[in-house]
Amino acid sequence: MSTQLHANLTEEQVREISNRLDEPEWLLQQRLDALGALSELDMPDVIRTPGRNWTNLYDLDFESLVDPLNAAEEKDQVGPDEVEVMSIAEALDDHEELVREHFGSVIDPQENYLTALQTALFSTGTVVVVPDGVDAEDITVRTRMNSRSLFNYTLVVTGKSSSATILERQTTGDEVDGERYYSGLVEIAAGENSNVQYGSLQNLDETSYDYTLKRGHADTNATLNWIEGNVGSRLTKSSVETRLLGEGSETHIVGAFFGHNDQHFDVASRVWHEAEHTTADLVTRGVLDDRARSVYEGVQDVGRDAWNTSSYQRENTLMLSDESEADASPKLIINNHDTEASHAASVGQVDELDLFYMTSRGVSPRTARNMLVEGFFVPVLEEIAVEEFRDDLSELVAARLRE
Amino acid sequence: MARLQLKNLHAKVAEGGEKILDGVDLEVSSGEIHALMGPNGSGKSTTAKVIAGHPAYEVTEGEVLVHLDEDEFEGMTIPEEKRIWNLLDLEPNERAAVGVFLGFQYPVEIEGVTMVNFLRTALNAKLEERDDLFEEGEEAETEEEAEDSGYDTSPMEGNADEGDVGVAEFQELMAEKMDQLDMDTTFAQRYLNAGFSGGEKKQNEVLQAAILEPSIAVLDEIDSGLDIDRLQDVSKGINALRDEQGAGILQITHYQRILDYVEPDHVHVMLDGKIATSGGPELAERLENEGYDWVREEAYETA
Repeated sequence: MSTQLHANLTEEQVREISNRLDEPEWLLQQRLDALGALSELDMPDVIRTPGRNWTNLYDLDFESLVDPLNAAEEKDQVGPDEVEVMSIAEALDDHEELVREHFGSVIDPQENYLTALQTALFSTGTVVVVPDGVDAEDITVRTRMNSRSLFNYTLVVTGKSSSATILERQTTGDEVDGERYYSGLVEIAAGENSNVQYGSLQNLDETSYDYTLKRGHADTNATLNWIEGNVGSRLTKSSVETRLLGEGSETHIVGAFFGHNDQHFDVASRVWHEAEHTTADLVTRGVLDDRARSVYEGVQDVGRDAWNTSSYQRENTLMLSDESEADASPKLIINNHDTEASHAASVGQVDELDLFYMTSRGVSPRTARNMLVEGFFVPVLEEIAVEEFRDDLSELVAARLRE
Repeated sequence: MARLQLKNLHAKVAEGGEKILDGVDLEVSSGEIHALMGPNGSGKSTTAKVIAGHPAYEVTEGEVLVHLDEDEFEGMTIPEEKRIWNLLDLEPNERAAVGVFLGFQYPVEIEGVTMVNFLRTALNAKLEERDDLFEEGEEAETEEEAEDSGYDTSPMEGNADEGDVGVAEFQELMAEKMDQLDMDTTFAQRYLNAGFSGGEKKQNEVLQAAILEPSIAVLDEIDSGLDIDRLQDVSKGINALRDEQGAGILQITHYQRILDYVEPDHVHVMLDGKIATSGGPELAERLENEGYDWVREEAYETA
């Protein structure tokens, strides 16, 4: 099913955005091509169970959500001196060839309607370039969205034997009338033997619809680790993906979400083993309260040439109310018999016996429940090597429990 | 001085309705050790769970009373009208606050919550709840206030230093109690019962009782799954609960062997959901030698 959701977007608008960023012709052309493809493209795939599409993106009112020429944000982009952390405009000035080489190379701009919309309309972004052999800690990108819509692009390129730790956070600032839309694409090219940890913590307000796609390519012996925390938004559709293209490459995808009220999370972790001796570990935990819903899809795809693969996946969802709903779909696709792989998913309520044990020792039911929820996230928190990120996520969880 | 009194207690499984307790009468006072014995399915564990407020059981008749003296809790004078509580009117955490502790036969494993954090939270919660229940003239808190959670920081690092017992003070207390029980102090930082052996879990139950200082401790088959060394450690802990803290102990067991180390003042035999006979320590020895058949025969003769 193709879509024609956005009749009021024009080539003039796209040209104006491109002009403001003083972009080269090739990038404008990418935008225009994406705009032109919109009417032909479908929404991203969603999980379907009998009689139900878990996330109905076709019902989103993009006409009112997207306000392409009035994007407003506050952004901090900081990193140590030995790496370059730049706005997209600066990167186009100083490293146009590098941006041209990588832009759209990991995520096809016309992969679906939302990636194409993003490509046509993005107005802000960050480019991180880590030279060969450099270790870069504490690269931080904070984006505060102040407008109805914001399209944000991030590109990370790491050189040979380098390492980088990047934390990206999205929040909403100034209030706007009505609902809002945040879109973010992240492309990472992890060079040979490099080590990238990319953390993202989304805490948009609950009038916001959020689409993010983060995908990386891991070269020979590279390690690409993702941490994905989703706490905010009205609806989030988020996917974190790694293609293990180089021999000996690894990825670790850690996800956590905590929904309440009427929030909806559609989260996915995907990995493609495309070379020998590759390793993946996918761990996601989510908690749902009130009428919140979640759907999780995890894919481990072991290619024909991926000899000696190790691939693991676990997803657990804890429901705190009878009205919350969750579905999980872990998938293993194995085309190479020299593979060690496992996957597991569970959806359940707070254990009544656990609660009784704790309350029988004097702890109030509410505190016991909160301790159980915080404890539930600990296996995920323990996977997070960056203390600042771990603290931020656990504080957001604790704050939500005290609401 | 406290006294736990079960009066004509009847209970059934909440879902399904199978009747399990059929009129239990029993009294345990501070400083006493009572052994509750009986064959499988006689209702021993159900009695323990009903005392603590397990949601799987519904009490259909009878009372579970706790009688307290005015000076039962250190630093607190209990007004006369608040010295008798029917536990059946209280939530499990309130039962803990009036001095009742249940040692579980199968303690649950809770990942992500460290022992030290949980126990300090429990101790402070018990003290706070006790203030709410016993302070004279103070209006009870609203449910919302009462349920305000003090769990402020990461479960990996522990609570903020609030509550009556601060972090440093509690760590000292815990180390002291662990030392008394010959427990490895690294257990304090481990997650609650997670990965503990059967014996370690039972030792941990006794440690929790030692820290929470109940007036009455109901210990459900605390001796099952213990090797002889661990049995002695656990027994030492149970005796200390009585001798040093003055707790009354209701020791549920199948076997004589723990009673070699924890000598009971009274032994009760439960059959078909009620106490069939009671006596002194010699009763346990006879059961060990002769089994339960004679109790059943005597009970039927008198019936």
